[in-house]
Amino acid sequence: MQLLQALIDGLLIGGVYAVISIGLTLVFGVVGIINFAQSQFLMVGMFIAFFAWKFLGLDPLFGAVLAFAGVFVLGALIQKYLISRVLKAPEVSQIFLTVGLLIVLENLALIVFGSEFRSVQTAYQTSAWRLGGLMFNVPYVAAFAVSAVTGLLIWWVLKKTWWGWAVRATSQDVMAAQLVGISPARVHQMAFGLGVGLTALGGSIILPYLTVSPTIGDQFGVLMFTVVVLGGLGNILGAVVGGLAVGMIQSISSLVMPIQLQNLALFLIFILVLAVRPEGLLKKAS
Amino acid sequence: MASHGHPPKHSPRRRQFVAGTGMLALAAALPTLSLAQQKTINVGVILPLSGANAQFGINSRQGIELVADEINAAGGIKSLGGAKIKLIVADSTSAATTAATVAQRLITQNECVAILGAFASSLTLAISEVTERRGVPLLTMSFSDQITGRGFKNVFQVVSKGSLIGKCQFDYAVALASGNQKVNKIAIVYEDTAYGTSQATGLRDAAKAAKTEIVMDEAYPLGISDVTPLINKLRNSGAQIVFPVSYLNDSLLIIRTMRQQKIDMPIVGGAAGYVIPDFAKALGEYAEGVLSIAPANYDLGPQYTERYRKRFGAFMVHEALEHAVCMDVLAQALEKAKTTAPDGVREALRSTRFNGGWTQAMTGGAVKFDDTGLNTLAEPVMVQWRKNELVTVYPKALAKGNFIQRKAV
Repeated sequence: MQLLQALIDGLLIGGVYAVISIGLTLVFGVVGIINFAQSQFLMVGMFIAFFAWKFLGLDPLFGAVLAFAGVFVLGALIQKYLISRVLKAPEVSQIFLTVGLLIVLENLALIVFGSEFRSVQTAYQTSAWRLGGLMFNVPYVAAFAVSAVTGLLIWWVLKKTWWGWAVRATSQDVMAAQLVGISPARVHQMAFGLGVGLTALGGSIILPYLTVSPTIGDQFGVLMFTVVVLGGLGNILGAVVGGLAVGMIQSISSLVMPIQLQNLALFLIFILVLAVRPEGLLKKAS
Repeated sequence: MASHGHPPKHSPRRRQFVAGTGMLALAAALPTLSLAQQKTINVGVILPLSGANAQFGINSRQGIELVADEINAAGGIKSLGGAKIKLIVADSTSAATTAATVAQRLITQNECVAILGAFASSLTLAISEVTERRGVPLLTMSFSDQITGRGFKNVFQVVSKGSLIGKCQFDYAVALASGNQKVNKIAIVYEDTAYGTSQATGLRDAAKAAKTEIVMDEAYPLGISDVTPLINKLRNSGAQIVFPVSYLNDSLLIIRTMRQQKIDMPIVGGAAGYVIPDFAKALGEYAEGVLSIAPANYDLGPQYTERYRKRFGAFMVHEALEHAVCMDVLAQALEKAKTTAPDGVREALRSTRFNGGWTQAMTGGAVKFDDTGLNTLAEPVMVQWRKNELVTVYPKALAKGNFIQRKAV
């Protein structure tokens, strides 16, 4: 019974990790750059959702749409004016740019918003559903539901729409894509915007059970990279699998270990997987 | 006949003599010059103004500012010619290594007569190593036992030790609950930095002394974002009372998750996150009736603490109150020492019994540091949330209100 409960909790939180990380892997797979500032967009999304709640009375689950839209635009602009300049530069420049972006975003937020922790109050924040002897934490279930819907939407866009094909084509072969009339610059902007927008959406759906502050990004930074590398860098399904796996590992390990060692178990398994299969659990495929 | 290339024979020596006398005269005049110009005393303030403990750092800084402004408005430090207090505030962030670097830089770049800080025991411990090396007095309200337990000569702690606070957290809770039921099983949950660990030790020892069974005893990392496994364990443990020791984020997570799982056992918090206005703001009605131990409380000295509410719009949290007491104690020490030299200030801090001013708002009504730097007059109090205010309910001698049993949800 306890095992089942832990599995469920892990799955629910894993769904959130997945949605947050899909963005990171998408950016790498399509644009070809490792975005170290990804976790800061989570923070930006969370703030947008918080203010939407505060001034518009929007529940963060709906505020997530606003957060996605806002950060999508921000991401597209960043791609157009900043990232595109270093795409052909040595990787060191790319790292400098995204790490610099991380520092600027975090500190701008500190200046503008101050360092206080802010919390939302929603009706379902302190509820849980009981089924049999199992507890389903309502904010987690809501976040998981939104993650699942978002994941399915992304899958549909990439598999079934022209634009999704354009994205996949660009990530497979830029030259060939250009030859058939796709503008790589446009695709990169859309992909980057989509990537960071997804992470921002992930940030706002976790707002009901976490507090927002400019430094919240740091908590998820390492986790995101673990999920993405575990699942296979550049592979979106891999991010989903990785996210669920990380959530479950964290949850189940707490049954046998003190909770402080939660991440130890995670990283041990991470290292083991990479040692046996360096490309991650799923091979790279668009 | 001297040629152009050669300087006249006696001039260099004469020039040197004049220059030397001039410099001597200037040097002699300098102390008087600097004294006459010394109208400010630098007091270093190192607090976590960003990261997990930012809210507490901000509250603490406000407490210090309130008192420093009061002192300056009343004419500054009179025995030093009306010199004004100047606060040099630095952000320690919430990481101990950064705190130490910040302290180092602050002391090197400014001549601080003392340092106040840094709220979190882990940060204060790091900073105290720097201040001890440089011989600068450090006044703090952090209470991990280690702070006064290393034989340092420059640390002055205005509140009780963590282990004592933990002991009182348990003893007072049992005393309050004794009317209703015997307490046989308890749970201890604590954040794993110096603060939580120290207080948990006090809780554990007190429970063992009372022969109460500890059915759950778990530490968790400070930045935890999901406490579900912890609360699952709590639910299955059969504890009658839970004693959590947390900062703000973790306290909110714990209370909310307990509510979700409909766990209704009494909660006796361990100060920090459980006694800050944001706790009640975030939890609304779920904060009502929650108990917590606290090193001090604002309702014990309203003639002082209400000034804070007037200026900053919220009640004076215990860290703001204790830092205000630190500032007042420092000012009184400077008055007595009549110097800003570290030895003199340290001596005054060590040997004086401070009463008057803000020390009256502290439990014990006055402040006296022993050889380890601990204020032996302070005692913890149990407070309870009532309509977003904290009311002292135990010990009876200090209580401002009656303890009310929380209604089952």
